[in-house]
Amino acid sequence: MSERRPYRRPMPSNWWWAPGPYRAYTIRELTGVAIVIYGAVLLAGLISLASGPSSYAGFLAFLKSPFSLLLHLVLLAAVVYHVKTWFETLPKTQPKIIVDGKPVPAEQITKYATMVAAGCSLALILLVMGVAR
Amino acid sequence: MSQAVQIKRVPEARSKSPLFWLPFGAGGMLFALFGPGLILITGLMAPTGIGIPESFMSYAHARAFAENPLGKLILLAVIALAFWHGAERIFLTLKDMKAGTIPPLKMGTYGVAAAATVLTLIVLLVI
Amino acid sequence: MPDAALAAKTVELRILRYRPASDERPSYESFHVPYSQEMSVLEALQSIKDTLDGSLSFRWSCRMAVCGSCGMMINGKPQLACSTFLRNLPPGPVTLEPLNNFPIERDLVVTVGDFVKKIESIYPYIIPKVPRTIEEGAYLQTPAQMAAYESFSDCINCMLCYAACPQFGENPDFIGPGAMALLQRYNGDSRDGGQRLRLDQIHGENGVWSCTAVGYCSEVCPKQVDPANAVNQNKTNSAFDFFLSFVRKA
Repeated sequence: MSERRPYRRPMPSNWWWAPGPYRAYTIRELTGVAIVIYGAVLLAGLISLASGPSSYAGFLAFLKSPFSLLLHLVLLAAVVYHVKTWFETLPKTQPKIIVDGKPVPAEQITKYATMVAAGCSLALILLVMGVAR
Repeated sequence: MSQAVQIKRVPEARSKSPLFWLPFGAGGMLFALFGPGLILITGLMAPTGIGIPESFMSYAHARAFAENPLGKLILLAVIALAFWHGAERIFLTLKDMKAGTIPPLKMGTYGVAAAATVLTLIVLLVI
Repeated sequence: MPDAALAAKTVELRILRYRPASDERPSYESFHVPYSQEMSVLEALQSIKDTLDGSLSFRWSCRMAVCGSCGMMINGKPQLACSTFLRNLPPGPVTLEPLNNFPIERDLVVTVGDFVKKIESIYPYIIPKVPRTIEEGAYLQTPAQMAAYESFSDCINCMLCYAACPQFGENPDFIGPGAMALLQRYNGDSRDGGQRLRLDQIHGENGVWSCTAVGYCSEVCPKQVDPANAVNQNKTNSAFDFFLSFVRKA
C-alpha cells in the first residue's frame, strides 16, 4: 500500500507584497499607473484643446497649480524608476550578444541602454528649448 | 533494443497575449527613452517657465502642433501607448492581487486603453 | 534549556515536517545539532538523521552542487543545502522547508514528476538541421556559436527557479524557468533545427505567456543559468511568431 498523499501548500494571497524581490516587482509594475495618469493628463489637455481657447486656458491653469506640479514630480520619480527597471529587464528579452566569442554581460547592456535613454530625454528637452526660444 | 519511449506532445492553443504584449512593450520603450523628458517638459518646465517659455504650450502653439500630421502621430503614439503599457502592467498586478475575476479586470484595463485610443483618434481627426 | 556554553556550540534547525501516513498537514519540528564552522545545512540534516531522528526525509547525492538534489527553502529562500553553510546564515534558528510551489511528498521531499514531463515536452535533444552520415563527420561549431547557448546547458535541474517563481506557484501548469532554459539550450544551438517544434510547445497561456518577468528565478539559480533570459527571449520569439502566423496562413 502506498502512503503517498502529496500535500500542496497554498500560495499566500499577499505574496506580491512579500518583502524582497516580489515587492520590488510589484512596485515596478505599479509604475504603469503613473504612465497611465500622464497619458490621461495629455488626453484631457487634447480634449480641452479641441473644445476651444477658454477650455484650454483651464487646462493650462491646472498645469500651473501646485497640485499638478507635485503630481508631475511624483510621476517623474515613478518614470525614472521605470527607466531603471526597464533596462534591467531588457537583456532578459533578447538573445545573448556575442562579441569576440564571449557573451556581453547583462549589466553592461543595462548600463549602455540607460545612458542612451538619458541621452534621448536630454536631447528632447534641448530640442524643445531650442524650438521654443 | 527496447521500444522507443513515446512522449505525448499536444501543443497548447496559441495565446492571444502577444496582441497586448506588443503595445505594452512599445509603450514601455517609448517611456523608458523619452518619459522623463516628456514629463519634465509638459508637466514641470513649460508650466513654470523654467528653461522653456510658458508660451511654448499656448493655445496657438498647441493647436498648430495638434493640426500638424506629424504632431497628430506623436500625440496618438504617446497617449495610446501610455494607456496600453499601463493596462498590461495594471492587469497583471490586479491578477496577482486576485482583485477580481478576469473579464472585469480586462474591461477595466485593456477596455479603458481601447476606449482612450478611440477617443484620442476621434479628437485628433476633428481638431 | 541548554546552558550558555552548550548553546554557543549548537544550532537550532526548525524543519517543516510532513509524514503522509500520520500527519494531516505539515508542521514544524525543532532539532538542536552540534555546530561547526565548516558545516553545511546538508551536513546538519545528516547529523539529525544519524543521531536524532532516522525518519527525517530529504534528498541529496553529490554534496558539491552538481546533482541538484538537495534544493530546499533555507530561511525562506530557495537554496542548495550542500552549498549553504551555517556560518553564512544569520544567528538564531535556521528554518528549513521543502521547495515552495511543489506538492510535498514527505518532509523536505517534493514531487518532481510534473517537472520531468515539462522537460520531456520541449524536445530536449538536438534535432539536426541537415542529418549527416558518420562518413560526413562531426557537426562543427565555432566557439562563438557555442557561447550563444553554453550557459543554458549548465542547468542541474535543481528546481530552485520554480520555487522562486510566483507565477508557477499560481499556475502549476506553467512550463516554468528550468524547462525553458533547457529549451533555449537547444534552440540556441547552431546545429539544431527544432526551433519550430519547440516554439509550438510554448506559445500557449501555460507556455511563456504565464511569465511576468519577476526575474527572481535567475537570482536564485546556483549555476548562473539565467532562466529568466531563456523565458523572456522566447516571449519575444513567440510574439513575432504570433504575428508571422497570420502571414503564413495568408
